Amino acid sequence: MRASLERTGGFAGMRLTSTADTDKLAPEEAKELRQLVEAADFFRLPPTIASQANQPDRFQYKLTVEDDQRTHTVMVGEAAIPPRVRPLAEWLTQYARRR
Amino acid sequence: MSAISQGAFDGGSGHSCNSGNPHCTHHRHAICFIIPPIMLRNIAEKGDEEQRTLAFHTLAASERFRGQREVLSALGIVKSLGSPGEKLRTIYDAKRGTTLPGRLVRSEGKKATKDQAVNEAYDGSGATYDFYSEVYERNSIDDRGFRLDSTVHYDRDYDNAFWNGTQMVYGDGDGQIFQRFTRSIDVIAHELTHGVTEFEAGLEYQDQPGALNESFSDVFGSLVKQWVRKETAEQANWIIGEGLFTSRVKGIGIRSMKAPGTAYDDPLLGQDPQPAHMKDYYGGAEDNGGVHINSGIPNRAFYLAATAIGGYAWEKAGKIWYIALRDRLRSTAQFVDAAKVTMAVAGDLFGLKSKEMKAVRGAWQKVGVIK
Repeated sequence: MRASLERTGGFAGMRLTSTADTDKLAPEEAKELRQLVEAADFFRLPPTIASQANQPDRFQYKLTVEDDQRTHTVMVGEAAIPPRVRPLAEWLTQYARRR
Repeated sequence: MSAISQGAFDGGSGHSCNSGNPHCTHHRHAICFIIPPIMLRNIAEKGDEEQRTLAFHTLAASERFRGQREVLSALGIVKSLGSPGEKLRTIYDAKRGTTLPGRLVRSEGKKATKDQAVNEAYDGSGATYDFYSEVYERNSIDDRGFRLDSTVHYDRDYDNAFWNGTQMVYGDGDGQIFQRFTRSIDVIAHELTHGVTEFEAGLEYQDQPGALNESFSDVFGSLVKQWVRKETAEQANWIIGEGLFTSRVKGIGIRSMKAPGTAYDDPLLGQDPQPAHMKDYYGGAEDNGGVHINSGIPNRAFYLAATAIGGYAWEKAGKIWYIALRDRLRSTAQFVDAAKVTMAVAGDLFGLKSKEMKAVRGAWQKVGVIK
């Protein structure tokens, strides 16, 4: 399974990207990532999650998960990230910084 | 406050509300409130301090209550508003969480704390208030003494600062790329100016109106820094976010108004993506249609106008841009509208054949917005 993140916007307007592949991660990390995707119920999220508040300088996220059968992409503004999706976005953000 | 729906990416189409809530009928504000006013009154009368503060924020920012200070006064929370002409700063600490506003750590008139971020937020919002008051006779964000609330230490490793419709919020940075966002006074003034824009032109945060919204925040962000330092347009470096990067990053700041696209060039971050001319305009969907990217074009136009006029940039160029933002621009304004409006204001203030008018026209021509 592969999970990727693209973060754009924010005050600095910089792009942050990361892709984590469970085949290349340590077993513990791969397990953690699978759990986060499952906890987010990722494949059932709508492709865009609209925010009522279009707040200046906030981040925009594009999250993509692909496994053997399917690929799904979700676009969401920082202020509208559902609580169950937030840990996945945070994990991938940390992963982007670590490289 | 969030709703899941199919359709627009992050409400990018504007300020519409999807909740079907009857209290979300106004369009000037990016934030829509879902608590009925009667409930807010109850909270304001009977709630604890935090609840009262939240209720106050909602009431004060709500269009339907604007101008109705008597209502707030009757509720006994008028002290929160401050008197006209008064600065009222309150700094909160989110303690690396995401709950806003967080714990109160410094209020107006209280002495400095040991926390640099708290003091920088306090001093920076104070300088911004003083700038708007002394230079443009504006009483805070709404010109009615809107209180200036800031939260520092928001989230963990948070590489950002933002305005949420009622307050400023600052992250500490990740320590690898960014340091804390209160380090640059222009960042603080940038965020507060988002509030001014919301109350005035109400520029939509998408595509060209969004890039103009960003540009006005950079223009007045930079002007506050120049005003504090008493720098002329020639002396200023026109860098936004100077000092935010750690020493590991190859870059002087986040954006350059003088030379957009040159603020940083780093192996990890890549190159500053800002265009300096319409020929390099970014037409993609990222970043609400490139609001932090295409702002380079109107940013450079301001720099060019200010340096052609000369002297202190806030006195003439800044005044032209301020009046355009306050009185003339509509929420859907494109770059060409900003060009026309700033030229019209320059003509009104200084004459159609004035040096100032020519400087403004020449600036928009040089960045390719008008011929």
